[in-house]
Amino acid sequence: MRLNIDGLLVYFPYDYIYPEQYSYMLELKRTLDAKGHGVLEMPSGTGKTISLLSLIVAYQRAFPLDVTKLIYCSRTVPEIEKVVEELKKLMEFYAKETGEVNNFLALALSSRKNLCIHPEVSSLRFGKEVDGKCHSLTASYIRAQRHANPNVPACRFYEEFDSVGRQVPLPAGIYNLDDLKDFGRRKGWCPYYLARYSILHANIVVYSYHYLLDPKIADLVSKELAKKSVVVFDEAHNIDNVCIDSMSVNITRRTLDRCQNNVETLQSTIHTIKETDAAKLRLEYRRLVEGLKEANVARETDVYLSNPVLPDEILQEAVPGSIRTAEHFVGFLRRFLEYLKSRLRVQHVVQESAPQFLKDIFDKVCIDRKPLRFCAERLHSLLRTLEIADVADFSAVTLISNFATLVSTYSQGFTIIIEPFEDRTPTIANPVLHFSCMDPSIAIKPVFQRFQSVIITSGTLSPLDIYPRILDFRPVTMASFTMTLARTCLCPLIVGRGNDQVALSSKFETREDFAVIRNYGNLLLEMSAIVPDGIVAFFTSYVYMENIVASWYEQGILENIQRNKLIFIETQDAAETSMALEKYQEACENGRGAILLSVARGKVSEGIDFVHHFGRAVIMFGVPYVYTQSRILKARLEYLRDQFQIRENDFLTFDAMRHAAQCVGRVIRGKTDYGLMIFADKRYARADKRGKLPRWIQEHISDGSLNLTVDETVQLSKHFLRQMAQPFRQEDQLGLSLLTLQQLESEEMLKKISQIAHQT
Amino acid sequence: MASLSEEVLLVVKKVRQKKQDGTLYLMAERIAWGPEGKDRFTVSHLYADIRCQKISPDGKAKIQLQLVLHTGESTTFHFANESTALKDREAAKELLQQLLPKFKKKANKELEEKNRMLQEDPVLFQLYKDLVVSQVISAEEFWANRLGGMNNGEAAPYSNKQDVGISGAFLADIRPQTDGCNGLRYNLTADIIESIFRTYPAVKQKYSENVPHNLTEKEFWTRFFQSHYFHRDRINTGMQDIFSECAKQDEKGLKSLVNQGVKNPLVDLLSLEDKTLDEGYGIRTAVPSTSNASKTVKESSNSAIIKRFNHHSAMVLAAGSRKGDVPTDQASETSSTDGNSRDSDFFQPPLKKVKLQEAIEYEDLQRENKPKVVALNLKKSDRYAHGPVPLQSQQYTTSQDIINSVSYIQHEMANYKPNLTQVLSSAVASSAIAALSPGGVLMQPVAPQAINQMVPTEIQGELKHLYVAAGELLRHFWSCFPVNTPFLEEKVIKMKSNLERFQMTKLRPFQEKIQRQYLSTNLTGHLEDMLQAAYSKFHIWQTRRMMRKT
Repeated sequence: MRLNIDGLLVYFPYDYIYPEQYSYMLELKRTLDAKGHGVLEMPSGTGKTISLLSLIVAYQRAFPLDVTKLIYCSRTVPEIEKVVEELKKLMEFYAKETGEVNNFLALALSSRKNLCIHPEVSSLRFGKEVDGKCHSLTASYIRAQRHANPNVPACRFYEEFDSVGRQVPLPAGIYNLDDLKDFGRRKGWCPYYLARYSILHANIVVYSYHYLLDPKIADLVSKELAKKSVVVFDEAHNIDNVCIDSMSVNITRRTLDRCQNNVETLQSTIHTIKETDAAKLRLEYRRLVEGLKEANVARETDVYLSNPVLPDEILQEAVPGSIRTAEHFVGFLRRFLEYLKSRLRVQHVVQESAPQFLKDIFDKVCIDRKPLRFCAERLHSLLRTLEIADVADFSAVTLISNFATLVSTYSQGFTIIIEPFEDRTPTIANPVLHFSCMDPSIAIKPVFQRFQSVIITSGTLSPLDIYPRILDFRPVTMASFTMTLARTCLCPLIVGRGNDQVALSSKFETREDFAVIRNYGNLLLEMSAIVPDGIVAFFTSYVYMENIVASWYEQGILENIQRNKLIFIETQDAAETSMALEKYQEACENGRGAILLSVARGKVSEGIDFVHHFGRAVIMFGVPYVYTQSRILKARLEYLRDQFQIRENDFLTFDAMRHAAQCVGRVIRGKTDYGLMIFADKRYARADKRGKLPRWIQEHISDGSLNLTVDETVQLSKHFLRQMAQPFRQEDQLGLSLLTLQQLESEEMLKKISQIAHQT
Repeated sequence: MASLSEEVLLVVKKVRQKKQDGTLYLMAERIAWGPEGKDRFTVSHLYADIRCQKISPDGKAKIQLQLVLHTGESTTFHFANESTALKDREAAKELLQQLLPKFKKKANKELEEKNRMLQEDPVLFQLYKDLVVSQVISAEEFWANRLGGMNNGEAAPYSNKQDVGISGAFLADIRPQTDGCNGLRYNLTADIIESIFRTYPAVKQKYSENVPHNLTEKEFWTRFFQSHYFHRDRINTGMQDIFSECAKQDEKGLKSLVNQGVKNPLVDLLSLEDKTLDEGYGIRTAVPSTSNASKTVKESSNSAIIKRFNHHSAMVLAAGSRKGDVPTDQASETSSTDGNSRDSDFFQPPLKKVKLQEAIEYEDLQRENKPKVVALNLKKSDRYAHGPVPLQSQQYTTSQDIINSVSYIQHEMANYKPNLTQVLSSAVASSAIAALSPGGVLMQPVAPQAINQMVPTEIQGELKHLYVAAGELLRHFWSCFPVNTPFLEEKVIKMKSNLERFQMTKLRPFQEKIQRQYLSTNLTGHLEDMLQAAYSKFHIWQTRRMMRKT
């Protein structure tokens, strides 16, 4: 259908539309008009992606000069592929409606592992191996060597792309990962480099967060993306953690040992090069004297996305003399390494700030702040000069130099914690130096600064106002949308007590309490008897799940559950869990029914959807608080309190509730879907917890279902399931939660729609 | 004495049955008991007839052994020899335990098959009741050609019954009971053993390797329950445990399952992340690789339990869907050898595409493409069920024909001139009208409707049963023709007498009954006709045979 969104003609590739989709597009349009950033929460399964794509594509067509590019970031590879498929659908609709072939270029970009078509390289299993192997075939100096010696192996796909591919731009169209591979095979071009090259002139780019947020990758891939782009972060409820992860560094003794080896290799390579090709080193020296001017010019003229690891100031300066020659630099690295080793030889926990660390390093080994800041850039240059084949081998020394640069650049937002052993095993020495980022805004700041509109969206972003605070930006729109429903297809229940009136809770004091564990078991057992097909249960942590499973096993609860359904359990091994997941789906599919025991914050909880019969009920055992005793977390909480005035408890609850909402939200993936959401912890009933759930879940929690016993839960569930099992047709939804164009245009409906968006 | 020709495996003296002392004989094919001082058996059961044996609990004063037959009857033997009663009983039990399964397979299969057929098919069951229970024909005759069809023709509709899966909780059903003196008893049934074998092929292999050469069946299962294999949470086991190998094999199976990877790319957690953080970056510290040593016993036992549940569920699921007993290892090996990801690359896209399409579909946003149909609104559903009366003449008229004929009739009517000299007399006319009015002679309702409405339902039901039974008998009868073997000759004569008996014992009473209820006797007319047809055929055959003989 064709929609009129605030004066913009939007093609929407379906015959009907959900009211909230319309509302969402309105808000989105406002954000784009204002050239600002937005935070939008819309329930999962209400067609968020297609709304986003429809509107932004329409906007791009209407105002090609204002918005030149859409950068769509999602979290997982399947998500990325889904987005591109939806885009394909939209474009087919455009072609059908307008009758003209449009010249849109949209493509997905992923790592080499998902794009490589080289027969040997692509058969490698792990991403890192593929990257390393690819690098060893395509690095510039390797190719230079081949001019002299034709026997050096090459990747013919890359060679072909390099000689022909750059001149001819990728023909317009929508390219998913497989399409790129097909195209690459047909032409004999490397799909990965083709994609990387093509994102510069594509209208829509779909890739994962890391390509924009992780400075190490963003610098390679996304540096030159146009400023007038709209950036969308989908499934962004965890975006702060992604930011933090990309800026944090852990150094163990093993890292240092490998680093030591790296330094030795560097040293020897420098020696050999000096004997054979001293001119090369001299050339490098000269380049370093000139400094990083080029990069500086590019950044000032707004061509590049700035790199938080490479702060602006150092671009104006030349690399300090003390590390300018290769030998000096290696010596410098060695000193730094020795210092780190000495720091790891501690008997007690040390926590200090970056300035303290810098002062200490100056006192002990006379390393100044300035050369430290150039460390990463200097190493990069050295590795290039020395023509190192496999950069993956030098990950340790790269890590150390990144750490050096970061620690000397940011006096705030980071903390250094040195732990001599793990908390759980105090007898085994395993010293780790955590250099942890506490401020997610550091990594994301360049994105907000560079791009005109950044949209942060997800099914669960509640409470909305906390994201702008922790990411330090000012949005022009913040809205949460509810789900209009013709029938209440979700049923959140809070189970606070067992049948014996024991309060159910996963809180620390009662964690080992047998009564609680038994009651949890009873709950699962009872539910397994009444819920058809699949049940997913989430625990607060892996250790907690292990303990509960063991004690359920001893008490024979699991055996009884097995009478009703098969049991699959998430393990710490991803391959094993994948197998279990597939078997789980198989069991749901063939009617046997199954239970999946899983962990909040685990991979399953964040990447797998349980549509329809794959999840008819989800049970959240306990409140998934993060492990609060960790020093890193404590430091972060302190920082949040001091810098952003966010109270520790508020943040912890927010964090726990967003994960709970994520877990629970996995079960509803659309309006025709239905599912029970059982919160098995009495603490969920409290206003401060409940209030942090997304609005679309919150509004279905009735006061009567705040503190149920297991029996009452079973009764309510039975009732709910029976109701839901009735046939549900399109006509039932029409006019309420599903609109035709005429219905949408009626005055009354527009008024209703304006209430869907809940502005904050 | 019958036992002379048989091999006697065990003789137990002083066994009481029905308060009578006697001797129990276990022979190659049957178990028998004779009272003391007499040389014949008052009790004799073929092993094939025995469903199971039960023994009295150990603590009881009377030491007894009960045999339950397939017919539901049971015979109890009381071992009365004071000093050796227990030993005697154990000996008898052991022997029976070994003998019964051998016969069971044969007998059981057939019996179960019959049982199942009767249960699944109510018509057959009724027939069985009508013919066999009322002793019109014997059970053997009844089953003769049914089971024959069963055994020869795989295509028989009954043979492709649905495979029954395995209960996920079959291990839980083996409830250990304490026997009072520091021991545990597990009750195993054939079903459970079957489940164990199907789920854990490794155990089956062990079983066939060791039983009965190295171990008796009992020992085997005792060891099974003692092994850590059964108690997966126990980690440390002695080396002599024969099941430790099974565990290893399972581990291997699990590993190969894991290595096969998953077909559905949407659940493949390994390829979920696009770009993992390099080692050393990130907040969450990776699980230390050296943790194996530091793991406590409890932790590793916990993870063993989790592994076990995953494996168990996967195996149960696989056993349910497995056709025949394909060893899983082989299948996994072949697929892992071609684990070349190039291959999988080529095969992957279709499935992946389908899954992706499925994932992005919003069925309710799309208009259904099906043509709109008018909902059926029935006022009288019985009229719908009976359907319209079929057109007598199969010629359909085109609309042009209709128009033509209408205009023709109109034309005729316009030109109609009554021929008043040749009309009926008023008396005849009124009688004709009376005959054609409802209730008149010519307005008798047609037969099929009459049966529905006039005959009470129980009579209808009875009539149906009669038809079925008669049909069955007649089928047997007609299947004898052409009579070309002496066996068939015999059978046809027998069947004829069966038919006559049927007519006498079943049909006649029914006819009398409906007569009593003043229903028209021609209800059974057709049945009679059928029987008559059979009789006349029989007579023709018989006279022809006589002629040939003379």
